[in-house]
Amino acid sequence: MTPFNAGNPEDCQEKKLPPRDWILLPLISLLTIGLLAGSTELIARRMFSRTGTLYDCLVLNDPSTGTRGIPGCVSREKIEETQPVEYRFNSSGYRAETEFGPKSPGTYRIVMVGSSFAMGYRVPVEETFAARLQAELSQRTGLRTELFNEAMAGSGGSPRSVSLRFKDALAAKPDLILWILTFWDVSHVSSIMPEETPAGHETSIGRTRRLVKEALARKSIVEMVRDLSDVPLKVVRVRWEMTRTAFLLQHFLNESQSQYLRAYLIGSDSNNGFLKTEPSAEWQTWLRQSDSYAEELQARAAAAGVPLVAVLVPDRAQAALISMGAWPADIDPFKLDDELRAMIVRHGGIYIDILSGFRNIPNPEHYYFPVDGHPNAEGQRIISRLLAEALTGGAIPALKVAAQSPAAKDPDR
Amino acid sequence: MDTASFRFVLFGLTAALLSNLSSSRLWRSTVLLLASMVFLGLLAPIPLLFLPLTEFLLLGYGGLVLLQRGWSKSLVWSILAVVLAYVWLKKYAFLPEGIFLHSPYFTVGLSYIFFRVLHLLIETGDGNDRRHVGIGAYLLYTLNFTTLVSGPIQRYDEFAQDQFAHQPIGLGPRVIGLQLERIIRGFFKVNVLAMLLHAVQEDALAQMSQPLPLTLKLFSAFRLAVVYPFFLYANFSGYIDIVIALARLMRVRLPENFDRPFAASSFLDFWNRWHITLSTWLKTYVYNPLLVALMRRIPSLALQPFLGVFCFFVTFFLIGIWHGRTSEFVIFGVLQGGGVAINKLWQLGLTHWLGRKGYKVLANNGVYIAFGRGLTFSWFAFTLFWFWANWKQIGRIATAIGIVEWLGVWLAIWLCATAGLAMWEGLRTALLSIKTAEGPVLTSRYALVVYASALGLTALVVTLLLDQPAPEIIYKAF
Repeated sequence: MTPFNAGNPEDCQEKKLPPRDWILLPLISLLTIGLLAGSTELIARRMFSRTGTLYDCLVLNDPSTGTRGIPGCVSREKIEETQPVEYRFNSSGYRAETEFGPKSPGTYRIVMVGSSFAMGYRVPVEETFAARLQAELSQRTGLRTELFNEAMAGSGGSPRSVSLRFKDALAAKPDLILWILTFWDVSHVSSIMPEETPAGHETSIGRTRRLVKEALARKSIVEMVRDLSDVPLKVVRVRWEMTRTAFLLQHFLNESQSQYLRAYLIGSDSNNGFLKTEPSAEWQTWLRQSDSYAEELQARAAAAGVPLVAVLVPDRAQAALISMGAWPADIDPFKLDDELRAMIVRHGGIYIDILSGFRNIPNPEHYYFPVDGHPNAEGQRIISRLLAEALTGGAIPALKVAAQSPAAKDPDR
Repeated sequence: MDTASFRFVLFGLTAALLSNLSSSRLWRSTVLLLASMVFLGLLAPIPLLFLPLTEFLLLGYGGLVLLQRGWSKSLVWSILAVVLAYVWLKKYAFLPEGIFLHSPYFTVGLSYIFFRVLHLLIETGDGNDRRHVGIGAYLLYTLNFTTLVSGPIQRYDEFAQDQFAHQPIGLGPRVIGLQLERIIRGFFKVNVLAMLLHAVQEDALAQMSQPLPLTLKLFSAFRLAVVYPFFLYANFSGYIDIVIALARLMRVRLPENFDRPFAASSFLDFWNRWHITLSTWLKTYVYNPLLVALMRRIPSLALQPFLGVFCFFVTFFLIGIWHGRTSEFVIFGVLQGGGVAINKLWQLGLTHWLGRKGYKVLANNGVYIAFGRGLTFSWFAFTLFWFWANWKQIGRIATAIGIVEWLGVWLAIWLCATAGLAMWEGLRTALLSIKTAEGPVLTSRYALVVYASALGLTALVVTLLLDQPAPEIIYKAF
C-alpha cells in the first residue's frame, strides 16, 4: 500500500519534560489568561463607560400609575453605547421641554403613549421621533400640530400601565391618541413595576444554592442532571455579564447583521417568540391579555370621541429581517404586526403600518444601539418619517384632508 | 451534538481517557466501538434512521468477504454495487426522483465511509493486502467517530497498525500537551474564527442585493469572494485539528489533511495541500490507474504529457462533483479539473519554451511565486461560488454589479492576495527565524502555552458565555 503521512514522527519519540516546566507552564497559562482578561476589561471600561441613571427620576413602585416620572426632575444618564443624555420631566411627570398646557384654537393635538422607544430613551429629546414627528406633521399637513409625549420607559409603557395613565392622555383633550407598541410591551403586558429577579441581590454562593435547589426539585432525572451540570456555567455567566468585556464583545458581534440575527433567533422565546409563525402558549397568553387592554383603551377613547391609532415599531432584529427580505420558514417578522392590527381593528381602532417601510432601508440594524436595542438618533429620524407617511397617507381623515389642502402643497406658504 | 462543539470535545476527551485505562487491544477497540456507537446515537437518536447506512456497510462487508475468500472476479461487481448504492443513498440529482427512499435516513459521514469501503475492496481485490479484516475491525475502521463525519480519509493499514498494535504508540506529557493545544486551536478556528469570517461573508452577501452605492457594492463583492476560502479553511481544518488530536490521545495517528494551502504557488500545488487525504485517495485510485490504462492504449511519447493533463482533469473533476449532488457541483468539478489541467499545460508550455532549466529558474523566482500564489488563491475563491451558492444566488451576485466591475474586483483580489500572502509568508519566515537552541521560539512549548491559553479563553467566552452559534462543519454535508 502507498504510505500516507501518518502524523508527526516526533510524536513517537517523547522527550522528557524538564521538572521546572511542570510549574512554569501552568504559571504562564494563568498569567496569559490574567493579562488578557485584565487588559480587555480595562480597554472595555475605557471604551464603554457608564454614569448616572434615568431611574433617579422615576417612581417605580406606585401600583396606581405604574412606573411614572417625578414632576420637574432632571437626570443625566450615559450608558455604554450612548453619549450622555439628559432626561427632563415637566410638571406632568412626562419627558418634555415644555409644559402640557391647554389647547389653542386651530391646533391639532396628538398625545403619544407607549414605552421607551416612544419616550426616546437613549437619545436627546430633540432627536426623539416624538419631537421630529410634531415638526414633520406640521410641515406635511400645514396644520399646527402639537404632540404630547406621555410615553414612559420600562414597565411604564406596558399596556396595563398605559391603561392606568390613560386618563392623563384623555385629559389633554387630544384630537388623536397615538399608541406606540413594541414587542416588549406585549411580552410585559401586565407589568407595572420592574421585575424583581432573584439573581439581582444574590451572592455567588446564594445563587449556586438556589440553582442546585431548583435542579434537585426537577421531577425528571435527565432534567435534574442537565440542570445540575448547568449550574457552574449559570453562576459564571451572571458574574460575566457584569463585566464590561462582555459588553464589548457583544457590541462588536451584534454589529454583524448575520451573526446578530443567528444568535437572536436561537435565543429565548420571550425575546424572539413574536417572530414565530406559530407563537408559543406564553405569547398567545400575552396577546390575549393585550387584546383585552386594546379593547378597554379603544372603548375609553371612543367614549371621549378621540380616535385611537396604534402602530408597532419594529425591534432591531425584526427591522433587519424585513430589510433582508428573507427569513427561515418558521419565522415571520410581520406576524406580530398582523396580530396587533387584527385586534385593534376588531375593537374599532385604527392601525397603521410602518414595518413595510423597512423593506427599502439597507442595514436598518445600524439605526439601533447594537446591545441596548433602542433606536439611535438616525433610527428615531427614520421612525418619525415612516410614522408621518403612515399618518398622512389616508388612515387618519383629518390629517389626510389637511395634507391635500393648498396650504400644505404650497411650499411658499 | 454538534460535531465541533464543546460537548463533542468533552465526549472525545472522555473516550480518550477511558481508552487509556488499559493498553490491551481489546479494551481500546471496545472503547472506540462503544464511543462510535454512542456518537452515532447522539447524532440521530432513532435507530430506524440507520437502516440504509447499515445495509450499505453490510454490502461493503459482503464484497470484502467474497474478495477475502479469493473471489477476485467479484471486485468489479462489488465496487459497482457500492458506487451505485452510494449514488442512490446520496440522491444525486441526475437520477429520477422516484427511485429514491422518501423516508428520512442518516447519511452523515456516508461519503467518507464510501471512500474507506472502496479502499478496502480495491486493496483486498488487488491482493495487496493479505490481512484478514473481520466484522469488528471493519466496523471500527468505517465508523470510527474521529473520522466519521468529515474524515480525514485514513488507510486501513495505518489504522490497524495503531489501533491493533500490541504495544500502543507512546503518549507522554509532551504529546498530551501538544494534542490539547491542537484541540484548542481547532476549537478556536471552528467556533470563533470561522464564525466571524462567516458573519463577514453573510453580511457581504446581504449587501450585494441592497440598494447601496457602487463603491460599497464593490467592497462587498471583494469581501464575498475573499472571505469564503478563509472561512472554509478555518471551519474544516479546525475540525480536522480537533479529531486528529483526539485520535492521537486514543493512540491512533490520523493523516494530515491540510498543509498551509494558501502558501501554494500553483493550483496543482494547492491540491497537494488542501483536503490532502481526498486528493491522495483520488490520485491513488483514479489518476494512477487511469493514466496507466491510457498509456497502455496510446503508447505515443509525445502524447504522454497530455494524457497526464487529461487524467488530472478527470481526477479533479471527480473531486468537484463528489462535493454535491446538484448541477452547481458539476461546474465546481469542471473548474477544479480545468484549473489543474490548465496549470499542468502552463507548466508544460513554459518548460517547452524556456527549457527545463529556464522553467526551474522561473519557478523559484520570488515574484513569480508571489503572483502564482495570488492567482491560485483567486481561482480557488472564484470556483467556490459554485460550492456554497445555488444558481439563484449566483445569478443575483453576478448581476449585482456589471462585468467590468467584476473584472476589476477579481483583478484587485489577485493583486491583494499576491501582496497579502507574500507579506504573510515573509512575516512567518521572519518570526520562525527567531530561534533558541531548541528551535523556533514561536513553536516552543512556552509560546504554545501562551497561544493556547489566549485562544482557549477567547473560544470559551464566545461559545459558552456569549452563546454565539458557529456554522456547522461544511464538510459534514458531503
